[in-house]
Amino acid sequence: MAHRPAFSDGILEFFADRDTRAVEIPVLQPADPFLDTAGEDLRRRVFLTQNELGDMLCLRPEFTIPVCLSHIETAAGTPQRYSYLGEVFRQRRDGETEFYQAGIEDLGNEAFAEADARAVSEAIETLARLLPAGDLQVTLGDQTVFEAVVVALGLPEGWQTRLIRAFGDAAQIDLLLQNLAGERRAAEGLDSDLAAFVGSGDMAGLTDLIDRRMHETGFLSNTSRGPAEIAERLVEKARLSATHLDPKALDILKTFLALNASLDEAGGSLAAFSRIAGIDLSEALTLFESRVAALKDKGARTDAIRYRAAFGRPLDYYTGLVFEISVRGSVLAGGGRFDRLLTLLGAPKPIPAVGFSLWLDRIETALDGGAS
Amino acid sequence: MTVTIALPSKGRIRDGSIEAFEAAGMRISAVGNERSYRGRIDGIENVEVAYLSASEIARELGRGSIDIGVTGEDLVREDVAALHSRVAFRSRLGFGKADVVVAVPEVWFDVETMADLGDVAADFRLRHGRRLRIATKYWSLTQQFFSAKHGIQVYRIVESLGATEGAPASGQADIIVDITSTGSTLKANHLKILTDGVILRSEVCLVEALKDRTEEDRDTIESLVSRIEAALRPA
Repeated sequence: MAHRPAFSDGILEFFADRDTRAVEIPVLQPADPFLDTAGEDLRRRVFLTQNELGDMLCLRPEFTIPVCLSHIETAAGTPQRYSYLGEVFRQRRDGETEFYQAGIEDLGNEAFAEADARAVSEAIETLARLLPAGDLQVTLGDQTVFEAVVVALGLPEGWQTRLIRAFGDAAQIDLLLQNLAGERRAAEGLDSDLAAFVGSGDMAGLTDLIDRRMHETGFLSNTSRGPAEIAERLVEKARLSATHLDPKALDILKTFLALNASLDEAGGSLAAFSRIAGIDLSEALTLFESRVAALKDKGARTDAIRYRAAFGRPLDYYTGLVFEISVRGSVLAGGGRFDRLLTLLGAPKPIPAVGFSLWLDRIETALDGGAS
Repeated sequence: MTVTIALPSKGRIRDGSIEAFEAAGMRISAVGNERSYRGRIDGIENVEVAYLSASEIARELGRGSIDIGVTGEDLVREDVAALHSRVAFRSRLGFGKADVVVAVPEVWFDVETMADLGDVAADFRLRHGRRLRIATKYWSLTQQFFSAKHGIQVYRIVESLGATEGAPASGQADIIVDITSTGSTLKANHLKILTDGVILRSEVCLVEALKDRTEEDRDTIESLVSRIEAALRPA
């Protein structure tokens, strides 16, 4: 058993005072929801096992997904605020493989800025009760602003989605920026029949032809990608290969990604950036500024929070706010908005969601005065 | 001390390994009867030869329970975690060449590169209500290539222990990661390799398990490796 830090009860009391409902999550979880949402990369890091029916199970590697699943299963109404504290299990090169996490998931609150600010300030408050507030380094990012920049630049749709997908993965973003200008080309290996339909933009004819080829080569047109989807993307690719990328757009994007300011000044920096770049970001900036205002209302030291434009998480269920809190280089808390997660997990309608998670083992190390 | 060398126990890869040793002047003879799974090298006292399956050799190299193994590079790279601290590829033996590749149905006319596949994978859940499925026996190589190298996070791996190339047509998976030498099996199943979809150009290698050894054993291994190398690549 992992050691349960002495301050755990204090955290639970704090969570209870913050209008949350504590949930109990079984240690043994079906593995599919984790691998489906967080990706196969997680497979290396979870402890997998099977039941006698052959269903893949894992020791819970985190709480957000099971908390959301339990919310869906119990068909609880929204808004709903859940809290948890317990062990999670992960294969790690260094550090223990079982350790405690605690956190809050705020589901269904439609007041986005308010809910975002609440998550950030509650994470800060929890830590500030344990550690000197001056030691906490809070970093904040916003996928919505990045998306707005990409859209406002008028980049071709295909490039927009690739960039947005890679947001938060610095290496992939660099690679994309390098490749974007040169890479796109029309499908080359097309035979003349296909090329003729693509050239004339005859979608029906193209779809029919692909359908025939599919049957000739023994693929079922209803189990995987179908003829219409392939035809659509072929035509889209041809259209993209004909468009020319303005090198200025890439420069603007690089300037944006390098933005790094205190949250007090971030709104001004972003406004100045949009003016110089000549793009309209007003909608995303309004949300950004109202989040800052809500944080101030809650007494957060916004001058001490860093906004980094490139900070994000490259997983498709994260949507807006991301943040983390570290002490001497060790990340003690991470959080953000994941408006797409609940529908991915099977919720019948979209449920806005924001939350954070604390690494209790790292907090304990920080309390002892050590770095990570 | 003795040095344990594991050679593949079956097929062309067994014959090729024995030939590589013979070409370097090291004749391997069976201990006991001809069908024994143990052997020795004539004239070298402190070496034992064990015949194991190619995938067992990869696993035992990772555990360090043998000193030298002759097996496919693909198996070693797939099975041995923290590869560089555990094994060293000492000699590429020039046979058993095959590529581990990403292959998609030929009819995916719009998909030629990994970037195309990234687009398709990103949209897949929205369009089909599930993640893109990849049939493979190479879990770890697939993860490294898709996630780390190409930033593709959202896909599911379907374990495939044989006839992987049939998985897309039968609807078990959408695409495959598999090993191919001539590409003819892929063609026969109407699959095509992505232009940047070669994960690994594999061949049979002589691999050393990295561990503490006596000086005598180290010398034995070095002399063995240099004889093999000299025979393959005469100065």
